[in-house]
Amino acid sequence: MRFLRLQLPLLLTALAGLIPISAFFISENATRVVWMKDRLEKYMIIIASFAILLGVVNVVQSNIRKIERRQKGWPYGAFLLAGLLGMAFCGIMGAARIGPFQGIGYTPDGGRTPFQYGAEFMFSPLQATMFSLLAFFMASAAFRAFRARNVEATILLVAAGLVMLGRIPFGEMILGGHPFLARLTDWMMDWPNAAAQRGIMIGAALGAASLSLRVIVGIERSFLGVEKSE
Amino acid sequence: MEWLNRLMALDRRWIFLLVAIGTALPIIFPIGFKVSVTPPAKALFDRIEQMGPDDVVLLSFDYGPSTAPENDPMADAVLRHCFSKRVKVVLLSLFPIGGVTMADQSLARVLRDFPDIRRGIDYAHLGYKSGSQATMKQMGEDIHRVFPTDRYGMALSEVPLLQRVRTYDDMKLVVSFATGIIGEWWANLINAQFHIPVAVGCTAVSAPKYYAYLQSGQMVGLLGGLKGASEYERLVIDRYPIVEAAYTRAGLYTAIKGMDAQTIIHTLILLFIIMANVAFFAGRGRAAQAKR
Repeated sequence: MRFLRLQLPLLLTALAGLIPISAFFISENATRVVWMKDRLEKYMIIIASFAILLGVVNVVQSNIRKIERRQKGWPYGAFLLAGLLGMAFCGIMGAARIGPFQGIGYTPDGGRTPFQYGAEFMFSPLQATMFSLLAFFMASAAFRAFRARNVEATILLVAAGLVMLGRIPFGEMILGGHPFLARLTDWMMDWPNAAAQRGIMIGAALGAASLSLRVIVGIERSFLGVEKSE
Repeated sequence: MEWLNRLMALDRRWIFLLVAIGTALPIIFPIGFKVSVTPPAKALFDRIEQMGPDDVVLLSFDYGPSTAPENDPMADAVLRHCFSKRVKVVLLSLFPIGGVTMADQSLARVLRDFPDIRRGIDYAHLGYKSGSQATMKQMGEDIHRVFPTDRYGMALSEVPLLQRVRTYDDMKLVVSFATGIIGEWWANLINAQFHIPVAVGCTAVSAPKYYAYLQSGQMVGLLGGLKGASEYERLVIDRYPIVEAAYTRAGLYTAIKGMDAQTIIHTLILLFIIMANVAFFAGRGRAAQAKR
């Protein structure tokens, strides 16, 4: 039992981690390692598809629970499930090409299948609407929270103001057409910003590499749902 | 200082109303602010400008409807540029939430102005594939194995353009229109391992992180948000007057038109920030006086 629950997953994890790393550094003539690396990359594409399925199961479970317990906002959960099941129905029927459901994209004559219709005229506008609301909240948040309370906040405030002005034609207009603000913005993005971003990226990459190493050698086991001592 | 208290306690619905008016009015009545071009957009334009009818560009639609107002115009502009120069285009999507629909719609919008562009010969559409990083890496080995059929269900071996395109070696450039991390993967994974030049068209909020890749040479161009898209539109219109007709068509949303709204909103937000800070400092001054 311990072998199935702990040792086998750890072994598989170590192999899945070590093979692509080895294949990157060794010669392409080592055909067996390269073949295994190719296999693993193919499996990753398949596993990624299952991850979407896992997400769907999770959404269904949590929303059914919410509806059963009549938690706050449960009608939204019911609406979400109806949308999910409706689109899944159109998608599955379309993939099987049953009745009027001929595919999941466009029909050969350029018409829309029911799935495409839902994606284009319901899903797309709804998602765009959700994101558009951000503009209103950002403006409100800028008014309420963006204060020069200390030196750091003041630097941030001034930099943000300059970039916002430098990125719009109004910035040039107030300087009589001189592109000073646009150039200053370019400089800020090219140097202080790029330097800070690079620092963040290098830090994150080192963190990811060390965490990956811990997973590969079996020190980090929380992803298996077991404690280190087991 | 009654006005100060009233300003500090301003109902946020007034702010929402001003933002709504500031966005809607310039869209209904375009102002036509001048668009200046920055070096990252010009670099991408010049890169495609150097290509010929035998060259192939890979366009990856890695965004969904949520960021379409920013990403759509840049995708359309790059497609129009490629089709104007007869550069061959391969489209695909690695973004699961609506990416392939974005590619379909962009293609449909642009093809209206290029009736002589033929599917399978001048462009190919690979559709969507899950697995992002793994898919990108596998495409470096053999695209035909990753995408057995194109978006329209045709075997890749039967698509004339794709008969000579099997790996990144057969292409000159990758342009990713990205909303999340997929654009970064093109730069730090595919450029690093397969040495194909990469450019990214991203949302304004994610643009700052791409400057590090641009500076290190891992990217050859960058279109940052609506501003970057409007710059590219300007470059294409100035170079190819034939494209201008498409951009002046009534009802077509373009980044140049969108910049009018962005200009008003940026100015409005700056005014909000200034007003709030004036009120904040005046309030702090009064509090300090009262203490003394």
